[in-house]
Amino acid sequence: MARHNLGTVVQFEFTRTVKKRRFWIATLAIPVLLAIVFGLVFASGSSTQESTEQQKNQSLDFSYSDASKLIDPSIATALGGTLEANPDTAVERVKEGKLNAFFSFPANMMKEPVLVYGTDHGIFKNGTYDAVAKQLVILSAQEKVGSEELTVAVQGDFSTESQTFKDGRPSGGLETVVPPLLFLVLFYVVIILLANQMLASTLEEKENRVTEMILTTLDPTTLVVGKVISLFMVGAVQSLVFTAPMVLGYVFFRDQLAMPDFDLSALQFQFLPMLVGALLFIGGFILFTGVLVGIGAVMPTAKDAGTVFAPVMISMFIPFYIVTMVVSDPGSMIVQIFTFFPFTAPITAMLRNAFGSLGTVSAAIVIAELFVFGFLALRVAVHLFRYGSIEYSRKLSFRRAFARKS
Amino acid sequence: MHFGSKKVIEGLSFDVARGETFGFLGSNGSGKTTTIRALLGIYRPTSGTLEINGKVFGDDFGSRLGYLPEERGLYKKESVLDVMTYFGRLKGLSKHEAQRFSRQYLDRVDLAGKADVRLDKLSGGEQQKIQLGVTIMNEPELLILDEPTKGFDPVNRRLLMDIIEERKAAGATVLMVTHQMEEVERLCDRIILLKDGRAEAYGTIDEVQNQFGGRTIRLKYSGKLPESPHYRVAVHETNYAELSVDESIDESQILKELVLAGVVVRGFTAAKRSLDDIFIQIYGEDEAAENATASNIEGQVKRHGTAQLGHGSAI
Repeated sequence: MARHNLGTVVQFEFTRTVKKRRFWIATLAIPVLLAIVFGLVFASGSSTQESTEQQKNQSLDFSYSDASKLIDPSIATALGGTLEANPDTAVERVKEGKLNAFFSFPANMMKEPVLVYGTDHGIFKNGTYDAVAKQLVILSAQEKVGSEELTVAVQGDFSTESQTFKDGRPSGGLETVVPPLLFLVLFYVVIILLANQMLASTLEEKENRVTEMILTTLDPTTLVVGKVISLFMVGAVQSLVFTAPMVLGYVFFRDQLAMPDFDLSALQFQFLPMLVGALLFIGGFILFTGVLVGIGAVMPTAKDAGTVFAPVMISMFIPFYIVTMVVSDPGSMIVQIFTFFPFTAPITAMLRNAFGSLGTVSAAIVIAELFVFGFLALRVAVHLFRYGSIEYSRKLSFRRAFARKS
Repeated sequence: MHFGSKKVIEGLSFDVARGETFGFLGSNGSGKTTTIRALLGIYRPTSGTLEINGKVFGDDFGSRLGYLPEERGLYKKESVLDVMTYFGRLKGLSKHEAQRFSRQYLDRVDLAGKADVRLDKLSGGEQQKIQLGVTIMNEPELLILDEPTKGFDPVNRRLLMDIIEERKAAGATVLMVTHQMEEVERLCDRIILLKDGRAEAYGTIDEVQNQFGGRTIRLKYSGKLPESPHYRVAVHETNYAELSVDESIDESQILKELVLAGVVVRGFTAAKRSLDDIFIQIYGEDEAAENATASNIEGQVKRHGTAQLGHGSAI
């Protein structure tokens, strides 16, 4: 009876979730929110660009004093400036509104700041004073050096391309880190999206008093596995809905939305890190769902389950608090503990795998551990569901559930 | 079978023949539901199995089983048709067969217009009908009904009885856990009475009645019943009583006693002891009273009606 019912369970569980209006409201709320934010960024991005251009080209009425002897008077004039004849009263005149702006260039700009005084034109337009003062220094310096290349070099306004090697082959940089990290992102999204649904899903049979009907019709393993698969499918649908606006935004409106210009073709999908990432993801997912099903089977209500659920979630995500250490000092004791402790292992190992600090042996141990604990958790969860979900209104006693015979 | 250190079922063994209706009786807490759950693998017994045609019951028999549990419940947030189709498919029907059965059944129980309504939008009685439909939709060979009339109104009770009789006629075996003695007398071929996890009586209704001996006098009267060492009042209602009498006592002596005490006797029928009487003897007045309280009001109304009807026709 059991195995051929798996498809029926998956179809029922998946269909009834995606058929609900509530599901689509919750699912579409995030992309709609993202679209609104993107829209605002788009609008403000356009206006910022316009105002920056305006500020750049704007001729500002100002006077200046130059103790540094660096400022080129002709450039200053071109930008709207005049050399201040009476610097001592200039600030007072700005205060009184008789002078629009006054810049005081010190003798040593490495030690002292350029003092900028201006009439208030609102917080955004006031930025023009600083911009013009800096521009005046840069252009004057460039003029003095007499070489645009030297100016660029001094300003550090140039790019580098690095290449490292491992075992005689190019080892890649960020482009090799990003692909395996996608499994971490996927894991994070799946857990965030599905955790509550998984918990509620197994509690549902209990709260609806449908356990007896189910247990005499269906093998509990089939039910639990069916629920896990259907929830994974639901998560996939949600992920697609969430990522669609980001993909569309990246492809069609990248510049307007100020999205980073990644050259995706440069990404390197290396076989071993991708395989390890995928196995860590699957193992972590099995462990996590097994634990949640178990909690659902033991606890009588969603409210009761919440008290146990929170610590599990925290232990799952706690490696994010030491992410810097995971990346920079993977050999430290805390990182080692987090790598091999089942609940913290998925995220820690995925991070280390992406940054290349998870050795093959360690990866094999963590993967084996996750699969073993995952299947064990799932098996215990099915057992708890079988003998625990009949305890409709009370918490299951573990002693009784695991007694050889009741 | 134990719950913690408490032994709840002990040395219980019984046979149910193919095609018979078997009554599983006992007071609250006597172990009826626990036994059924253990037989079906919902609880794990310390030892023992349910064997069907010599084969141990397992998952592969589920598609031929119809089980109506004491704790009723279905997926409340889903539509009636979706839930019925789901269970139909789990029980081995195709989607088309499950939907066809569901629509025919809904039509039969006057819920044809509710196929697409969520279960939690239905009344309690309507939900009971759906649960019953789910139980029988695979035309089960073995029907196990745990307190089948619990929470049923007279209309649903009638429906349930019709369905049981239909399944019997189709050759199905029915195992019924109940408190309702008149239903047992009407439907069951054989019974077992359970107390503290042990069988107190087992056999056909005649055999059980003979096992406990004695007779019951069904009395229609007016006046005040006198106390007597020769009988015990097993059932007492307005102008009606059932007196439990030892085999050794002559009924005419009881009648004489009543008349001399000024009781106006309108009906006097001697019969074998009723199951109600035997039930009270086994479980004691307190437990029996508790049982009666646990039974629903409709059930009690029905029992009174049946008793009066039977009484009247016996005169």
